[in-house]
Amino acid sequence: MIPAPGVTGPPSALPLAGVFGGALALLAAGVALLLRPSVLVGYHGSGPFLALTHTFTLGFVTLVFVGTLQQLLPVLLVTDLALPRLGYLTQPMLALGALGVVLGFALGFRPVLLAAGATLVVVALWLAMLQAYLSARRSPKRDAAAKGLVVSTLYLAITVTLGLLLAGSRQQAWLAQLVGYPVRLHLAVGLAGAFLLGIATAGQRLLAMFALAKKLRTWRLRTITALVHAGLATELLAVVSALPLGWLAWSLIAAASAVQLLEVAALLKVRLRKRLEAPIQRYLVAHAFLPLAGVLALLGHPAPAAVAMLLGFVGIAVSGMLVKIASFLAWLARSRSASGAPALLKELMWPELERPTTVALTLGTLAVIGAMLWRSVPFATAAAWLLTFGALLQAVQVGHILFAPVAAAAAPSKPAPVAAAAPSEPTQGASSPVAASTSSGTHPPPATPAPERITRR
Amino acid sequence: MSLRITTLTPEVEADAVMAALGNVIDPELGIDVVNLGLVYELNIVGSDVSVEMTLTTPGCPLHASIGEDVRRHVGAVPGIGDVNLEIVWDPPWTPDQMTDVARRFLGWL
Repeated sequence: MIPAPGVTGPPSALPLAGVFGGALALLAAGVALLLRPSVLVGYHGSGPFLALTHTFTLGFVTLVFVGTLQQLLPVLLVTDLALPRLGYLTQPMLALGALGVVLGFALGFRPVLLAAGATLVVVALWLAMLQAYLSARRSPKRDAAAKGLVVSTLYLAITVTLGLLLAGSRQQAWLAQLVGYPVRLHLAVGLAGAFLLGIATAGQRLLAMFALAKKLRTWRLRTITALVHAGLATELLAVVSALPLGWLAWSLIAAASAVQLLEVAALLKVRLRKRLEAPIQRYLVAHAFLPLAGVLALLGHPAPAAVAMLLGFVGIAVSGMLVKIASFLAWLARSRSASGAPALLKELMWPELERPTTVALTLGTLAVIGAMLWRSVPFATAAAWLLTFGALLQAVQVGHILFAPVAAAAAPSKPAPVAAAAPSEPTQGASSPVAASTSSGTHPPPATPAPERITRR
Repeated sequence: MSLRITTLTPEVEADAVMAALGNVIDPELGIDVVNLGLVYELNIVGSDVSVEMTLTTPGCPLHASIGEDVRRHVGAVPGIGDVNLEIVWDPPWTPDQMTDVARRFLGWL
């Protein structure tokens, strides 16, 4: 029997802090863009542009990733975390480091801030990697999704290490001579190794859980992992050898993205939950940006293609799953508290916010792509307003899930309704929504589970 | 896997225990554990009850809270003694174990 998880799991406050911090970082990125939308149509290596992208990648995506990793690892590995309280160290380090990096860029490439911030981020992510590795070692169940999540954590640690090398190369000539300026590798490892692979692996399990999809096939996930490895190895070879292999590396990554689309389609095909919740729909909408990124890359627009993948696919997918994960974590935390939790997770959400969030983030991303394609300030301004609006709704939603008072589910009645329990209808008289629907006439009476009974007197 | 109920000189009705289990809701799906087909075995020996059940996903973070709910609701049945719960992952849960009520609730019937 696989050991039961969750007994000594991490305190809910840790992943919740990551999720809430991430939502605030997304809002900060939106406000920063609102203050200076023209940054989108300027030089993409400028301090303000890099500050904006790192607010998004480190502040939003990575903070949410590292926070939720503490809940995802036990679920995917079916074991407790090896170091359940390590997050108390890694998360503040990551948040502080991200702030240092962003300020370092925003204030005009301040070397001390960049070096200190990047060092904190690197140490935090290698500690997160250690957590993932040690937890995986004690797991009896390491399937393709679990292995992929651990590998994506490794790639995330490598991504920020490459970022630290980049920052160092700008300051130290000897380092620049030694490693050059590995911008392309930093981008490829982050986009494909950390984010695409992370979403593919965690997303497979989460989508299956939330859409109730069973009989999963693992070959697609293994193929995605292999293609990402091959793509990144090719990119490394291209950087080291100066051979023109970049097109091959990105073709392999594009193939991995195509298999991810197949995987999501396959999961939807076998799902039992026909009507998907709005955050899950947002997660699915995010996948439309993968083919768009491919088309933009083929048409010779690498920067808008990267935006489609990073802001469109990664950002919107994380934004969708973040709401579900926050609901899960908040529900668990409330169920352990004296006040108790509501009967259903979805009662923690503010449902009216979800569709406008999806629309605003989707249109905002398209407007960013338009602004970069046509160097259009009006598009950039529209993008800033839309993204800020979407990020604000997202932050309000997460705040609502975490802090809004919700009535707890009723305690069991005493004595139990023995008379209501007809032998052939064990759930009749129960307070479950199924039973409630049945009694209200929405559904016919429950089918009879046919238990095998053995009675010895 | 069909539900198996075994009783030995029972002092509580199996149906009362099943009704109590019907009050344990999966908070994500909004369906009770009986209609989801998560309960594999119920043993009643005197006033003591043992429940063997699974969850829809191995490693589900709701493991602890659903377990507590089972103990709380079954423990509220009059005359009940000890409530023992074992969560198992073998055989794994499949949607085939759901009742038509659950399927209908999910929009598939």
